[in-house]
Amino acid sequence: MRYICPICGYVYDEEKEGRAFSEIADGWFCPICGAPGTVFTVEEPREEAVVAAPETDSPEKQSFGEFAALCSNLARGCEKQYLEEESALYRRLAEYFTAVAPKAKGKNLEDLASCLRNDLSGFYPALRQAAESAKDRGILRVCTWGEKVTRMLLSLVERCQKEGTDFLKGTSVWVCTICGFIYIGDNPPEICPVCKVPDWKFEKVEGRRSV
Amino acid sequence: MKKLAVRNLRLCTKDCLCLYVCPVGATDTENSVIDKEKCTGCGVCAQACPSGAISMVPLEYPPQQQKAETVLTASRAVCQNKAGQEGIARQLAEETEDDALYRLMSAAAKSIRLVHEDLSRESGYMLPQSKNARERLQGWIQEPPAPDFPREAAQELLDRIPCNES
Ligand code: SF4
Ligand code: SF4
Repeated sequence: MRYICPICGYVYDEEKEGRAFSEIADGWFCPICGAPGTVFTVEEPREEAVVAAPETDSPEKQSFGEFAALCSNLARGCEKQYLEEESALYRRLAEYFTAVAPKAKGKNLEDLASCLRNDLSGFYPALRQAAESAKDRGILRVCTWGEKVTRMLLSLVERCQKEGTDFLKGTSVWVCTICGFIYIGDNPPEICPVCKVPDWKFEKVEGRRSV
Repeated sequence: MKKLAVRNLRLCTKDCLCLYVCPVGATDTENSVIDKEKCTGCGVCAQACPSGAISMVPLEYPPQQQKAETVLTASRAVCQNKAGQEGIARQLAEETEDDALYRLMSAAAKSIRLVHEDLSRESGYMLPQSKNARERLQGWIQEPPAPDFPREAAQELLDRIPCNES
């Protein structure tokens, strides 16, 4: 049987490897992107299940967190057009909204994990379906990247919950500055397994002491 | 479409081929920023540059693609979740004593923001010149979303970036 990595598409072929995937999956990680073996799935033609759009309690008003991302996105948009001062102005607005956003007090890793799980099980599939019927290729691409990045983050959060953070000690945490993919390792991957940009687009996340 | 040459100062190696080929001397400036007033948009400099440091950027952008209402509703729901997730990640980073968790949660906050920005861009906020973007700014100026909102920054953006939609 062949098992496929949901993040980068790496294939573990039992026949070639000479070992059953189930024997190695636990505690084994994708050699390309570092996703845990436990998230691999059997390679098979994907059947399109029809999903019901999850109920949302979208309040009328958008939150400050949403405004922050809206502004930091436009700051990047300005940057791409070489509008540097305009980009700085949008950054200022983004920082303002980030600062005034209410604090998420009393939350733990499980709150984060469950919110990420909801995206993967309901909200992304619903968005993908809407994009498919509207033939919106831009949003379909956003779903593909977003789902992969979210899945990777969820697997890291779950790993922390299960075994603590020792696996992060003595190594580095990297973020792809284009798609947000998180990679754990001494060096960033040569190309981002999700959006395929080269390693210099990765940013190393520094610890508190080095700030 | 009328275009202008823009030099990426980080890539420019100062080999100066562009200075030599520009018919109007627009590339020869003290601060290395190509002179907008002189540039005719002929593109010769961009072709001559050995470092790929010059891009021809359009002076005016075509209007953004219209988005379906169904897509916007579904996208809004994900945006809302992403904002919530970023908030949790930030808070966990702030509260933890464990440096490893601090790094992971800081990375998570960055990662979630990037995914969120990508979504926002594809959901009607691709161009700073768009009507959507301008209406936002106008709304915030008229009705500041919270105290101390930097109105002047929003106003300056409106003044500086022209609208590309009617
Ligand atoms: S040709 Fe390119 S690298 Fe050389 S000075 Fe002009 S922009 Fe810079
Ligand atoms: S596009 Fe033409 S006119 Fe403008 S800077 Fe380049 S060579 Fe000069």
